[in-house]
Amino acid sequence: MQEYKRIDIQKDQIVPIAERMRKNGVYLVMIHGFLNKEGLLDVSWDYAVDPAIESYHVVGEMELPSIGEIYDTAATWPERELNELFGVTFEGLDMSERLFLPEDMLETQGRGHIMVTPLSELVDNMKKEGKE
Amino acid sequence: MSYIVPIGPYHPALEEPIHAKLYTEGEVIKDAKVFVGYNHRGIEKLATERNAIQTLVLVERVCGICSHSHALTYAMCVESINGIQVPKRGDYIRVITAELERLHSHFLWLGIACHIIGHDSMFMHIWDERELVMDILEKMTGNRVNYAMVTIGGSRRDISDDLRREILDACDKLKAPLDRITEIAVTDKTIAMRTKGVGVLTREDALRMGAVGPHARASGVDIDVRRDAPYSAYGDFEFNVPVVDSGDVYARVVVRALECYESIKIIRQALENLPEGPINLGNKLVKIKEGMAVCRHEAPRGQLSHMVVGDGSLNNHRVSVHVPSYKNTPTVPFMLRGNTVADAGLIIASIDPCFSCLDR
Repeated sequence: MQEYKRIDIQKDQIVPIAERMRKNGVYLVMIHGFLNKEGLLDVSWDYAVDPAIESYHVVGEMELPSIGEIYDTAATWPERELNELFGVTFEGLDMSERLFLPEDMLETQGRGHIMVTPLSELVDNMKKEGKE
Repeated sequence: MSYIVPIGPYHPALEEPIHAKLYTEGEVIKDAKVFVGYNHRGIEKLATERNAIQTLVLVERVCGICSHSHALTYAMCVESINGIQVPKRGDYIRVITAELERLHSHFLWLGIACHIIGHDSMFMHIWDERELVMDILEKMTGNRVNYAMVTIGGSRRDISDDLRREILDACDKLKAPLDRITEIAVTDKTIAMRTKGVGVLTREDALRMGAVGPHARASGVDIDVRRDAPYSAYGDFEFNVPVVDSGDVYARVVVRALECYESIKIIRQALENLPEGPINLGNKLVKIKEGMAVCRHEAPRGQLSHMVVGDGSLNNHRVSVHVPSYKNTPTVPFMLRGNTVADAGLIIASIDPCFSCLDR
């Protein structure tokens, strides 16, 4: 069973940790996000400190620093994805182009619409718009 | 003259939709951009409305080639959250299926690479040999894709003694064709001329952008989750991790050909030492305890990660899937620079991309 270590941090620790990891040659596995039971966004930076994964969490922040300068596209793609799905912004990240969602969806329904709206509500909305 | 040459999202050289813009000076690519998101199916959102068994079925459909990898990685997450220990025999069967999947995936890619460079006789030869692996997978699982071999707490189907001998025979039968394919791939002049020095990704760029799998190993990055963070039964087996330094398309061909030998070695060890005992804990539907886990698996294309968050109910609170192509696709513009437009299709294909996987 792979070891998973959760470590809660403040948002000003995100960049120094990323710099330390990069310096040590550690891979950034992914930047994940989910809404916790309180409805707060829980973002985690997961590093492969083999054989374990060290997962650094920041909870309840909607503006975060980008680590794109340190991990390039390994960081900017997940950051852009989180921006589209949850609406969280990353300081210094170019978010002028879409990544996964169609541009018209981002324009008309806004970033974060997909993940924060229950599926049943999304289906009802589509039915009202006459879409199957 | 400067041109912007669009490729895709729907193009004969692409197996799946992706859009690339090539900024060219004459025939030479000066810069490039890739655009994804043409296959977004909302898999992660759908997973929040499903229990663990239903999610296994769902995540297998993220990708037709590495379906077992997705089911395995999701199951590992749930087992990690719930503290479930998989019986040894179940773990061995999971590994055998995973390595057969790697074999057929690598054969498939080697064939497609030959097809793209116009070596169609080699393409047909490789795909013909791939059928041996597909037949074994079908006998083992009942399916050619979406094997449904994983359940929470083990594997769904056992391997009988007859089937065990049959797979071992198939490993023997694969040896000669694999030797022949590797020899041609490594020494054939046509393949060398189309792949050597083409689409180079340096080790530094691979590390910086977090490239994974055979793509990274072809750029001299020595990583493999099976060895670096052993899971399932991988800690029980001896195998090598082939690494090549040149970082070009040729290196990607060589690495994948050599990895086929290692997969056969692992399958052989697993079958010869297959432990007695149960294969699972009874196919029970479990509640996913409150907690979360991130697990990694070395899928055929590289490191695959799933994150699962449980809230104590039957359904997932959140499932997040990130595939090797997610890390490897952003490296494509770097590989395209300085190459000709004629090589663009081959360079894009050389990462063994799966855009359905990427978009989820």
